[in-house]
Amino acid sequence: MREAQEGSEAAMARLYALHWRGAYRAAYLVVHDAAAAEDIAQDAFLAAVDALDRFDRRRPFRPWLHRIVVNRALDWARREALRRRVDAAESAFEPLPPPGEIGGEMIAALKELPAEQRAVVVLRHLLEYTPGEIARMLELPRGTVNSRLRRGLDRLREAAETEQLAEERR
Amino acid sequence: MNGDKLHRALREMPIPEPPEAEERGRRIVAAAYAERRGDSELRGAMTPLTSERRSRRPIPRLALGLSLAALLAVLLLSPAGAAVRNWVDDAFTASTPRPEPTLTKVPGGGKLLVQTGEGPVVVQPDGSKRLLGDYEGASWSPHGLFVAAVKGRTLSALEPDGTPRWSITAAQRVAVPRWSPSGERIAYRSGFDLRVIAGDGSEDRLLAGSTPAGTPPDGRISPAYVPPAWSPTGENELAYVTGAGRLRILDSETGAVLAGAPALHKITWMDWADGGSKILEASPGALRVRRVLPAGHPSRPALGKPRRLSVPPGATVVDAALAPQRPLVAASITYWHKHGTHSEIVVFRPGKGSRILLTVPGSLGQVEWSPDGRRLLVSWPGANQWLFLPLGRGRGHAVANVSRAFSPSRRPTSFPQLEGWCCRR
Repeated sequence: MREAQEGSEAAMARLYALHWRGAYRAAYLVVHDAAAAEDIAQDAFLAAVDALDRFDRRRPFRPWLHRIVVNRALDWARREALRRRVDAAESAFEPLPPPGEIGGEMIAALKELPAEQRAVVVLRHLLEYTPGEIARMLELPRGTVNSRLRRGLDRLREAAETEQLAEERR
Repeated sequence: MNGDKLHRALREMPIPEPPEAEERGRRIVAAAYAERRGDSELRGAMTPLTSERRSRRPIPRLALGLSLAALLAVLLLSPAGAAVRNWVDDAFTASTPRPEPTLTKVPGGGKLLVQTGEGPVVVQPDGSKRLLGDYEGASWSPHGLFVAAVKGRTLSALEPDGTPRWSITAAQRVAVPRWSPSGERIAYRSGFDLRVIAGDGSEDRLLAGSTPAGTPPDGRISPAYVPPAWSPTGENELAYVTGAGRLRILDSETGAVLAGAPALHKITWMDWADGGSKILEASPGALRVRRVLPAGHPSRPALGKPRRLSVPPGATVVDAALAPQRPLVAASITYWHKHGTHSEIVVFRPGKGSRILLTVPGSLGQVEWSPDGRRLLVSWPGANQWLFLPLGRGRGHAVANVSRAFSPSRRPTSFPQLEGWCCRR
């Protein structure tokens, strides 16, 4: 981070290489739209470049980036929810993994969650932040984070069990 | 289900990733980083706008159907006019142009292409008019030698006197034909597809969109109702907006997606600016410029971060147009308030601010640059007039009775739409 702040292109490239996949995956798992996830991850990095000079080196880069990613993904998901007209046409084209493929049931179940629940599930169980950290990132009371996590996990449990059964049959 | 299993599932489940997304992002981020550092290579490569290509498309026509009471409206000059001298040759200092009853010549020269209720009409420099036929839309070829015209499922290339050179019949309704700067290709929309055809009518092919008949359009690929725009660099780069609101740049020869980014919300029009180094997007509420890495840069055409031009809150951008030779954007902006409306013609210089050239009560319509970038043609449907406004020294012209002039049959008709002012000599 220090080298990137001092103007090292190589350091910036390393930061990008290190964090792109995680940022894209987190964005995708919230928005379930590959193009939007690409935009969100890109925008988060551009915001990082913009704020490089102001960035406090004592603080870790990763949560700061993920905070931007998840908040933008949430904004996008909320906007999309309002765009009722595209839902039917687009869902038919969403390139989900075929049923039976690892994660297929899970990703479908995740998609069924409200965006707010998806975001906390992704932050907790993909990016491994604590509920306290998530609360700060999303500017939510910790109790809200916990309740969203609980509701989200309840819904995912069923999908996981279905997937497990399928794996056992294979 | 425990946390480890869920973590594994979230981490390992396959998710779709657009081809080269990571590489595209890397280029964009690297470019932004280089720009932040004041990379001289990037900045030095910025070039002035040199394209001869016309560059505009109308935004929703909010000005139509206004009361004739607006005929009494008085042109008001902006008090900011004097300040325009900084970057426009001179202020627009003409007094209120007295409308001439008919168009006897095109001020500043060049030919106009106008869409009327009876079809596209070419207006010659001497003011004479020729109806090209019963077409629904038309646009100039880069040097004004031909006109691409559409009607139903038919795309035609015409000579400016209306003589057809070739026609094709597409599978679905065609619209918004746009010639490439070289004249070698025409991009057009057919139904939910973006297609491209050679300038001689051969090699018609799908570039982006749905394929099987009856299949619902995939909004992430199919074009929106925004005309595509060719890069003025002549590098086969075609920008278009998908139905899902994404701005994409395609290689028109291979169909490969070269770059992508979210388009301006509710985008109605976009085009390239500054010799292909920027893309301007317009919506009824905003104007935005997005940087494109310049020709010759290894990462071209990666898209940079967008920057908004300052459109006041509550204002409606009725139309916008790029100057053909200068980095200027003219916009026709209407303000709706309790006691009526007023409109302004504003000229923006991205990054340098904006200047109001003209203020009138009521609503103005489209705005069009002259081929040399020294004048603006502004339609004023409520007053049934066209206004030719010089940017530098010179007299403004107004032409009255525009609707009647383009409706020989005297049938009631909508106000003629400006489709292009062609071409540089």
